[in-house]
Amino acid sequence: MNIVVCVKAVPSTTEVKMDPKTNTIVRDGRASVVNPFDATALEIALQIKDERTVAGFPTTVIVLSMGIPATQELLRDCIARGADRALLLTDRAFAGADTLATTYALACGLRELGTVDLVLCGKMAVDGDTAQIGPELAGSLEASCITDVRSLVRIDDASVAAWHATDEGTELIETDLPAVLTVSKDVAQLRMPSIAGVFSAERATCETCSAAEVATDPSRIGLAGSPTQVVRSFVPERAASAQVIEGTMDEQAARVAALIEEAVR
Amino acid sequence: MVDIIPMDRELQSYLRDESRSSGTADSISFPRDEGEIVAVLRHLRAVGGDAPAAVTVQGARTGLAAGAVPAGGHVMNLSRMNRYLGLRIDDDGTYCLRVQPGVVLSELRRHLKNKTLPSQGWAPEDHAALERMYAGPERFFPTDPTETSACLGGMAACNASGARSFRYGPMRAHVRGLRVVLADGDTVSLRRGEVRAQGRRLRLTTESGRTYDLALPTYYIPHAKNASGYFIDDDMDAIDLFIGSDGTLGVISELELTLSEVPAVTWGVSCFFSTETDACAATVAIRAGIADVVAIEYFDAGALDILRHQRTAGTAFSTLPMLDDAWSCSVYVELACDCRDHALADLAHLGELLVAHGGSLDDTWVARTDADRETLRFFRHAVPESVNMLIDERRRTDPAITKLGSDMSVPDDRLLDVMDLYRTTLAEAGLQSAAWGHIGDNHLHVNVLPRSMEEYAAGKRLFARWAVEVVRMGGAVSAEHGVGKLKRDFLTTMYGEAHIREMAALKRQLDPYCQLGQGNLFDVRLAKEGDRA
Repeated sequence: MNIVVCVKAVPSTTEVKMDPKTNTIVRDGRASVVNPFDATALEIALQIKDERTVAGFPTTVIVLSMGIPATQELLRDCIARGADRALLLTDRAFAGADTLATTYALACGLRELGTVDLVLCGKMAVDGDTAQIGPELAGSLEASCITDVRSLVRIDDASVAAWHATDEGTELIETDLPAVLTVSKDVAQLRMPSIAGVFSAERATCETCSAAEVATDPSRIGLAGSPTQVVRSFVPERAASAQVIEGTMDEQAARVAALIEEAVR
Repeated sequence: MVDIIPMDRELQSYLRDESRSSGTADSISFPRDEGEIVAVLRHLRAVGGDAPAAVTVQGARTGLAAGAVPAGGHVMNLSRMNRYLGLRIDDDGTYCLRVQPGVVLSELRRHLKNKTLPSQGWAPEDHAALERMYAGPERFFPTDPTETSACLGGMAACNASGARSFRYGPMRAHVRGLRVVLADGDTVSLRRGEVRAQGRRLRLTTESGRTYDLALPTYYIPHAKNASGYFIDDDMDAIDLFIGSDGTLGVISELELTLSEVPAVTWGVSCFFSTETDACAATVAIRAGIADVVAIEYFDAGALDILRHQRTAGTAFSTLPMLDDAWSCSVYVELACDCRDHALADLAHLGELLVAHGGSLDDTWVARTDADRETLRFFRHAVPESVNMLIDERRRTDPAITKLGSDMSVPDDRLLDVMDLYRTTLAEAGLQSAAWGHIGDNHLHVNVLPRSMEEYAAGKRLFARWAVEVVRMGGAVSAEHGVGKLKRDFLTTMYGEAHIREMAALKRQLDPYCQLGQGNLFDVRLAKEGDRA
């Protein structure tokens, strides 16, 4: 079984700062990390591999990403944690892609990887929050999709069953392979690499492909292939303020009472 | 004048600290600067006549030896003295940050990391030093006790340590200056290297011009990690007398801390073993063989079993990484290197040492990312938390039960002996235990987890026995928590009564009414009688 995990490099900080002039994310040189949702997807893939390996079924986990060349280091880290291969789609022509253009590029990358039985993605990325890549990828591959998977019930060579979250609760879905699953962040915690894994990754090659090498249609990648147009982005203004109340306990209590009275008047 | 507030029910929490002991007090104050400390002490002296009130100094009350638990009298809480006062560059290029004693460690770390040190009111040259520091490599304060809500004054008072003290030493090594208010309100300003003893005589001049000719105790401190009683040495620096003095000699009103450069690469490696013997042998090999190691920590089988239990019990620790059943104990090694290639070389060497001592390259967790480092930090901190949860469960059936935690250290060549002592005696006594801590410094926190008051009493007897044996091995009865009120008997075991009397006599020279830190280090009666008794 071949399992592909799609991963995205996102800013390492959770305190994303916006440039007030350009209204874009301030990329202040902090290191990127694997999107935490995608990290969970990788752990699920590795757990499937562990179980199937013990049962005598060969299973390969491949990580796939579209990004700048530095993303190779993140993919190498995925190998240190147990992935078998890594493919990075990297080309200036991919820049400016929205989810549709990204999906198209990833689908081309999947084709490059040959037979794929299962694609695992994080439910969403922490920097974009669209949650569109997984379902769009399933559509592009004409495969089934189970979104927001909370637990995997069973997987064999032909089918997969998983509980997924709905607006009302959870639902058990069973579908044939190939399929695309998107997973929630708290379903599992990505394992840490061992010393053996670190050195295995150091010896491994992270494969890279340009746009031309994955035979993509130039009109469907990057900015040209992105129908999403950002008209304006802005940082909401905050109106809240705080004041420090000093004095004795009684004075502070009286001041708080007065403020509440003012507010409800 | 700062308020001296009568103790009432709303202020009861100031009668306790993290040691879970409780005391009594008549009043409390919250000074905001050194002048207010002086004013409170002078007021207490003026109204107290020949028996001025005892004064217990508190910071964040995170201590584990009850040093901040009052023994009557007045509580002086310095948590509101939390300002950053200035920065200078010393002649050796070291950045020295002046802070008030109530600055909390986690806040200091955050400000250093984010380059947001509050600098309002600083002199222009201090601002210039700050600008220069921000333009250079990131700096940090190396002392890293588990409890990051500790305040710097308290950390100096007990000479706190942490995992990284293996490389960086305890708090003492990072304090370049101190301002201290003596019991009568006079002040002393000390900068490392400026005032030294002559042998065992120390002349100390206060800012009012008074000179003390102090007779220092005659004992020798052990060649092991130590926070037991006054630091004493021939020709010692005066500043070291106040660091680790458990609030008994003066009130620390200002500290000057040295900041270190953040290493370019920091990797943490948890190594798992099937036997404690292998783990100890690997520890000895690692500390001798890898120069870039900054911490070596240990978690024994009891600790890992409790973690396994909490992980499956659906607690906050359910997100901990899975522990393989074959893993009996763990050694955590932290590497700090100047580049990734050196870190890789160290990691390869570490792997060789593990394999040579019963470990395996696969039975390891390597944390190279912030997320992984946070996971390992969570794992290490989950151990004491889990033990506390277990004890809380037992207290439901017997509220008098508490855990007993040791804080003893021995010299390098006695690590295997002390481990054997712990294992043999715990097995003889049939007590449940969990041990963790700073094995690189031969300093473990062995926790006895009593299931009954009989076991609690048996545990206390065992600790007393360990104190005797550890001292015999050349070790210390408290390596980092300080002596406070809970380990006074052990201090007597360590130094003998004659030397305790010398300590008390030294205290009486600076604090004739024995007001400060009453009950810390030695019984107040001994402090007042001194060598006359």
